[in-house]
Amino acid sequence: MSLWGWLFRRHQREQELDEEVQAHLRMAAQERMEQGETAEQARAAAVREFGNVSLVKEVTRDVWGFRWLETLLQDLRYGLRQLSRNPGFTAVAVLTLALGIGATTAIFSLVDAVLLKMLPVQEPEELYRLTSVSIKGRANDYFSYSTFKLLEANNQSLSGVIAFRPMENVDFVVNGNAELARAQAVSGSYFTTLGVKPVLGRTITAEDDARGASPVATISYGYWTARFSRNPSVAGARITLNGAAFTVIGVTPPEFFGLEPGESVDVSIPLASLPVAQPQFAATGTPYDVLAAPFRNWLHLMARLKDGETETRALANLGPVYEQAMRQSAEGMRGLPFDSPGTRKGFPETRIQLEPGSRGLTALREQFSKPLMFLMAVVGVLLLIACTNVANLLLACAKRRQREIALRLSLGAGRVRLIRQLLTESVLLAAAGGAFGALVAFWGSNALVSLMFHSASAIQLNVRPDARVLVFTGLVSLAAVVVFGLAPAWRASRLDLSQAVKESAQGAAAPGRSRMVESLVIPQITLSLVLMVGAGLLVRTLQKLKNSNPGFDEQNVLLFSVNPGMIGYKETQVAELYDRLTEQIRAIPGVSAVSFSTFSPLARWSSFTDARVEGHTPKPGENPAVTVNFAGPNYFKTLRTAVVLGRDFTEADTAGTPKVAAINQAMAQYFFGDSNPIGRRFSIPGWKADDSALEIVGVVENAKVNSLREPSPPAAYMPFLQSPDSFLAVTFEVRSAANPTALAASVRQLIQQADNRLPLFGVKTLSEQIDESLVQERLVALLSSLFGLVALFLACVGLYGVMASLVARRTRKSAFAWRWGPSGCRCWESCWDEAWRWR
Amino acid sequence: MKPRTERYQNRIELLQGTLDMLILQMLQWGPQHGYGISQSIRGRSGEVLQVETGSLYPALHRLEKQGWVASQWKQTESNQRAKFYRLTAAGKKQLLSEQARWAQIVNAIAGIMSPAPEGGQS
Repeated sequence: MSLWGWLFRRHQREQELDEEVQAHLRMAAQERMEQGETAEQARAAAVREFGNVSLVKEVTRDVWGFRWLETLLQDLRYGLRQLSRNPGFTAVAVLTLALGIGATTAIFSLVDAVLLKMLPVQEPEELYRLTSVSIKGRANDYFSYSTFKLLEANNQSLSGVIAFRPMENVDFVVNGNAELARAQAVSGSYFTTLGVKPVLGRTITAEDDARGASPVATISYGYWTARFSRNPSVAGARITLNGAAFTVIGVTPPEFFGLEPGESVDVSIPLASLPVAQPQFAATGTPYDVLAAPFRNWLHLMARLKDGETETRALANLGPVYEQAMRQSAEGMRGLPFDSPGTRKGFPETRIQLEPGSRGLTALREQFSKPLMFLMAVVGVLLLIACTNVANLLLACAKRRQREIALRLSLGAGRVRLIRQLLTESVLLAAAGGAFGALVAFWGSNALVSLMFHSASAIQLNVRPDARVLVFTGLVSLAAVVVFGLAPAWRASRLDLSQAVKESAQGAAAPGRSRMVESLVIPQITLSLVLMVGAGLLVRTLQKLKNSNPGFDEQNVLLFSVNPGMIGYKETQVAELYDRLTEQIRAIPGVSAVSFSTFSPLARWSSFTDARVEGHTPKPGENPAVTVNFAGPNYFKTLRTAVVLGRDFTEADTAGTPKVAAINQAMAQYFFGDSNPIGRRFSIPGWKADDSALEIVGVVENAKVNSLREPSPPAAYMPFLQSPDSFLAVTFEVRSAANPTALAASVRQLIQQADNRLPLFGVKTLSEQIDESLVQERLVALLSSLFGLVALFLACVGLYGVMASLVARRTRKSAFAWRWGPSGCRCWESCWDEAWRWR
Repeated sequence: MKPRTERYQNRIELLQGTLDMLILQMLQWGPQHGYGISQSIRGRSGEVLQVETGSLYPALHRLEKQGWVASQWKQTESNQRAKFYRLTAAGKKQLLSEQARWAQIVNAIAGIMSPAPEGGQS
């Protein structure tokens, strides 16, 4: 009989068996009555003759099979009865476990999403990521288009090479409505090599990725839902990306987010149509043309190995092709402004590398792997404390159940059977704990994501508990049962019968009995102390970072970004727009200062480039580099960065005046030592077509650029209006007298009036941006404090339980002492003595 | 023989095997309920064999699981509802082989109990 048959027919069979036995008894009795016995006599004799009815039923039932299941159900029923008889105990145990299991699962679901999950593509384990590494050991993730084409055409070991480039935000217009979308440019091989099938229409092919092909785009399932309400006629729809006409050809599947965990791509376009969507970046027709210039490294490459190929063989195969590409790159630079024998020499010195690519790009992983592993360890400890607590409770409970257990043992119950019964109760507890834990985790992991990624738009992580996470929860709950359930069950079954009966009659256990409970409390308190101290240190570090002087005043500054170049503004138009906007914003009541810059403080990115300083001869091998930033008038006044020497930028620094720059103290120290840098000159080769020398007019204090943790690097600031740029977005910094978020609405309105096609993004305060840069520290400090508190609370509950049972044991003794003894103090003393002995 | 049946025979002791055979034998004259079977075994053995209900019902359920008997709820002559067991085709075959085996055992035991002269045939 199948298990299902058994489950469904169990009740019916039971009834039939009962009826069968009753029929037997009736017939036997009737026959006796026919022989002259009275009804009562006959009935009694029939029953006597039949024997033990329930025993007969039991042995008959055995024949049906699934005896183990029967016992299990019995154990479960009994266990449930036991647990419902002690609702207080059950609630505390289940809650404790739910906290432990829930915290572990929540952190695990993040670990899974960030570190473990494979890409949602076909056979991700065959994918490799290409990187290059120079002799000096500096790795580079980017390749040029011509390198990609060479690798694609001249390899024997790859079944496909793909190239792609995240494009930041693009202006996505459909039916006249403009919104920002996250886009990427992909090679024609992208979707076929990854094995991503469209849910609607088709994906981008090699024909779409040819020069002169009409511009097409695929959209993500999420974007299809959000912008097109899943309209099935979307294939063929006309849209505008950054002002250029595109045709939607298909929708990618819902699970596909691109190749970078944490990012989600809304739109994909072919590499060949990049010139229409990002003309400045593509620089078509110039020596810098992205689709031609062999030295412009801008593409991520991934490859899929052919069946049976090994990594080593593929690498040996790719090496010569890559060398050829590098020689081409060096040649391609000849005659360009930043060409020099040194730079040219750098190219052939790099080697290509293969890295496993099954989990996609690594940015998020690098940022969060350490904090997440640390938190995983912390919740592991927390879970251990929770388990110890439940073990304590169970032991205390077992003491109360000694009579029952002794009775069952003396009635002949097997020890194994008894352990099984007790373990079944533990499993029930763990199952309930696990179920609530999953709820805690579901709620917790979403809270964690919003905590980790302040600006929700930047990071899209799927932490919905999937099968893997639930399996993990199950395993953790099971492990918990072993940890907290086995020892108490084993101990309970090894009860000394005569002792137990005697003790329960006296209402007290021998002192030796509680040793196990006590020995559990000690590590529990130790562990929670370790967590608390660790948390304290982390909080202290965070405070120190927050209180350090960043070189600017982050209070009351509103940030927002615009990118007019995206919708076709030329350099002069951009300068004019920023000039006008600055003036208008300054007129808003409550604004005390306003400026703008291409990089705002502690934004996630900055620019690092070579500098040539007049009068400074680099030593051999020295490669002096500085971070550069282009800033508007009054930049330092707005951010309250102290100008140590010279002056701030003003409205007078325009295209018509001699080129100037400000540098920070680190740069001044590096290049000029103690001499006065004002009036000295330097240039930034290769940054712009025009790289004539700049005169230093100001020295400012060191301000943090990338991170509060790192010292400020040498930095140069140039007036934006002297060399306006229409490629990069700029961020406006608006200082207000009071709460800066109140200004957001008026700013938005101003931008609307200036140009209603111009999308506004990245609206936040400077303090928020700093918090974002401290997300790791904040996350770890906050969570470990939280977990430390929970651990301490659990340890206190455990300690209370042990003390309570200790005092209960002493009560009888104390009663005598109170009545007959010299003073009540003695009772306190004896309790304290015992507590003290645990040290 | 099929593995399933082999396992069944291995598990069952001689006495139980005998009970199964007796039950099958009783059913060859027509469907009968549990009480009826125990009564007829008792009657036909001249009150010598008394079947314990603790052996009878497990045996009946086992035979049913084995497919050698089938059951049906019916009215008795005295108008009571009872579960009647009847022999299936497989059961009939099983009964025949049990009968043959039983004859063999009886002969063998008889041969031992009333020894023939040395060198004789059993």
